Amino acid sequence: MKITNLFTFAAALLLLACNKPAQPVIPQESNFKGTVTVIYQDAPFDNENIEVNFKPSADGKTGSLTIYQIKFVPQMPVTIDVTIPNINVTSTPEQINLECARVIPLAMGGEYPRYTVTDLKGSIVGKEISFSLNFGSVPTSYKGKLE
Amino acid sequence: MTGAFFISLALLSSPVVTDTLQESRVTALKEGIPTARLASSVTVLGASVIQKTGTYRPGQLSAMVPGLYIPDYGASLTSTIYLRGLGSRMENPVMGLYVDGIPVLDKNAYDFDWEAVQGATLLRGPQGTLYGRNAMGGVLSLRTLSPSDGARPSALLEYGTANTVRAAGFFTAGNHAFSASFRHTDGFFRNTFSGALCDPYNGLSLRWKWEKGNYSNILSASLSSEGGFAYGQVVDGVPMPVNYNDEAGYRRLSVIEGFRMKQELPLFEVEGTASLQLLADDMQMDQDYTARPVFTLQQTQLSGAVTAEVLARRKEKDAIWHPVTGFFTFYKLNRQKAPVHFKRVGIQELILDNANKNIPSDIGYLSIPDEQMPIYSGFLTGSWNAALFHQSVFRLGRWTLTAGLRLDYEGASMDYDCLAQLHYQFVPTMKAAKPFEVPYRGNVTHHYFQVLPKVSALFEATDRLRFFGTVSKGYRAGGFNTQIFSDILQYQTMTALMKDLGVYLDKPMVSVVAGNTEYNPEKAWNFEVGARYGKGNFRADAALYWIEVRDQQLTVFPEGMTTGRMMTNAGRSRSLGAEGQLLWQPGNWRLQASYAYCHASMEGKALLPYVPVHTVFALAGYHFPIGKTVLSADASLRGAGPFCWNEENSLREPFTLQADARIGLSYSHIELYVRGQNLVGTATHSFYFKSMGNEFLAQGKPRQLIIGLTYKF
Repeated sequence: MKITNLFTFAAALLLLACNKPAQPVIPQESNFKGTVTVIYQDAPFDNENIEVNFKPSADGKTGSLTIYQIKFVPQMPVTIDVTIPNINVTSTPEQINLECARVIPLAMGGEYPRYTVTDLKGSIVGKEISFSLNFGSVPTSYKGKLE
Repeated sequence: MTGAFFISLALLSSPVVTDTLQESRVTALKEGIPTARLASSVTVLGASVIQKTGTYRPGQLSAMVPGLYIPDYGASLTSTIYLRGLGSRMENPVMGLYVDGIPVLDKNAYDFDWEAVQGATLLRGPQGTLYGRNAMGGVLSLRTLSPSDGARPSALLEYGTANTVRAAGFFTAGNHAFSASFRHTDGFFRNTFSGALCDPYNGLSLRWKWEKGNYSNILSASLSSEGGFAYGQVVDGVPMPVNYNDEAGYRRLSVIEGFRMKQELPLFEVEGTASLQLLADDMQMDQDYTARPVFTLQQTQLSGAVTAEVLARRKEKDAIWHPVTGFFTFYKLNRQKAPVHFKRVGIQELILDNANKNIPSDIGYLSIPDEQMPIYSGFLTGSWNAALFHQSVFRLGRWTLTAGLRLDYEGASMDYDCLAQLHYQFVPTMKAAKPFEVPYRGNVTHHYFQVLPKVSALFEATDRLRFFGTVSKGYRAGGFNTQIFSDILQYQTMTALMKDLGVYLDKPMVSVVAGNTEYNPEKAWNFEVGARYGKGNFRADAALYWIEVRDQQLTVFPEGMTTGRMMTNAGRSRSLGAEGQLLWQPGNWRLQASYAYCHASMEGKALLPYVPVHTVFALAGYHFPIGKTVLSADASLRGAGPFCWNEENSLREPFTLQADARIGLSYSHIELYVRGQNLVGTATHSFYFKSMGNEFLAQGKPRQLIIGLTYKF
């Protein structure tokens, strides 16, 4: 009887523990390094070793992504830093989801509507980040790892 | 004019004529033996020839001294000196300057109006062993009037072309000698932009010398305010008149206080020399020399230096062994401010166009709405030197053998504090201009040692004929290129601004940085043989030399720089040359001539720019005594060239001759004279350079006529 009760108590404890809901990942500012792929004239154009900074807002509901020294077409004689603000951030216990339907990015000291960002979707899972978006009409994606 | 006349009534003139080439007398030189026994090429100009050629500035010695060329352009701070193919437009000189045994440290103080100069001695060829830094091409030693000269007080007044007034005078009283000179000129070149003459000059020089026994004290000061930089653009190969829109000029105050003493010991005499040297100057320059608002430079300097030298040598002049041993040191502190102001056109063409050409137009463009963009540059530079030297002269029968060695240590440290200030806007992303500052601060330091040996031999074949051979080394000090800092700041500003924008060029702009603005000393080895002949009133000498230069200091335009130039050690060069001079004074005649040929080339290839291949000077004078009246007539020719203006030798200036003459009538204590310079009006150019891709030439001075009066009280 005693053994039965003890087992029942242990099983109840285990059940109680299993029922506690998992906590969502708390967004934190992070720097990643990876590859930007731009679809240029229907062909992928890779920018390697590109750094990306993810910076959540104080409440963790929005965030920004800054892509450093990106080049949209191979012929560009310069690279630029682009910041995508006002990204919706949601978290699950497994990952952070990034999403933004439309926003004007910040570059070269202000808003840069020519490369308005649409359809941004992405996630941070563990030490990896990936997202895709359109810079104006230029489909772009990024995959990187935590530095 | 009236003031100048009254000043003239105060003072000096020409005492006893001590004539030239190889005077067998002791000079203010450190050697301590008669110049006739020096195994070096030497030119000695006495007061007479200095007066009759109207020489009262170092530049007027050009060609009179074989191989010496000091072009007359810019302003008094320019003092570009070429001697035996050595020299450059900027930074340290290749010729040491001593006035009454006091070294003049700052090249900016080299060009001053002489007062009461009684003699000029120029040792040609490297004199590093006794004179150290910057005596690589030679040493010029000026001797001014001393109280012990017993000269009568004298005054001089001249008036000439361009309303040029020169007044000078001297007098001695007891142990004191005072001299002064004043000069004014309206200028010779008109700036067509302003309609005004651009090179007026006003200068006052004062000197007080006190001597008592083995002690002497010399205090000199010169104050000048002048225009300058009479550079005209060359358009389609045709030199145009001066035409620039911004202020240009130069003001300078130079004060040198020197003290000398001699202590007689049983075998040796010990000489001590100390000086305090102050210089304050202010230069304004339209740096583009065009009528457009591009950029200006204002450079102010305040420097102070102390020098000290102790030198011991054997008293007995005719001893077999005549050693000279000494220690020299100096410390100089220089505070320089050199703000460059970019104006509207300069901002657009030198900065924005350079930046925007790299930014695709569909991305946007950079704008700087400021009317002026200042780049402030401040430098505090300390430099110091300490040297030990020894030279032994052995007289062995007909031979005089010399061996010497100097160990020279020099160091310098420069704090730089620069700041660029502007507002910028990137269009279309930025809605308004943003203030932006770029500071650039730091320190650079360098030190080096130089070993400067010398060996020479002089053989007295007869009492009249001597042969000599010399191997010697000299060096020109290294330093820091402060001129390039405004370019460095342009680069730093653009780089910081682009980074602030988040824009990065695939091919980053190229620039020097403070750490490599240093340039090293230039060294020269001189191999020379010569002969010297003197009989009665005839003297002549000739020399052949071969100078190997290492770490040649050359002015270059660094890669990626739009406006700046800097001194760099460009490699090796070689000077091969021949020099000769003669003086013959039969009866009432005076005939004097000097000639030099110099082939100075980079690594045996292209000729070094700005160095004349030939220098020529010839003077013929005659004086007619008519009772108590003496009529004198002197005519001279002076020539230099051809020159190459650039490293490629594609631009050349031909050899040109300039004719000068003087007619004087003296009676008792008065002499009235008329002097003409460049009488034929030979068109020459004294300087060529490029700025912002434009070519510029400085024209030589036109014909000048001067009438003068001297009075000995």
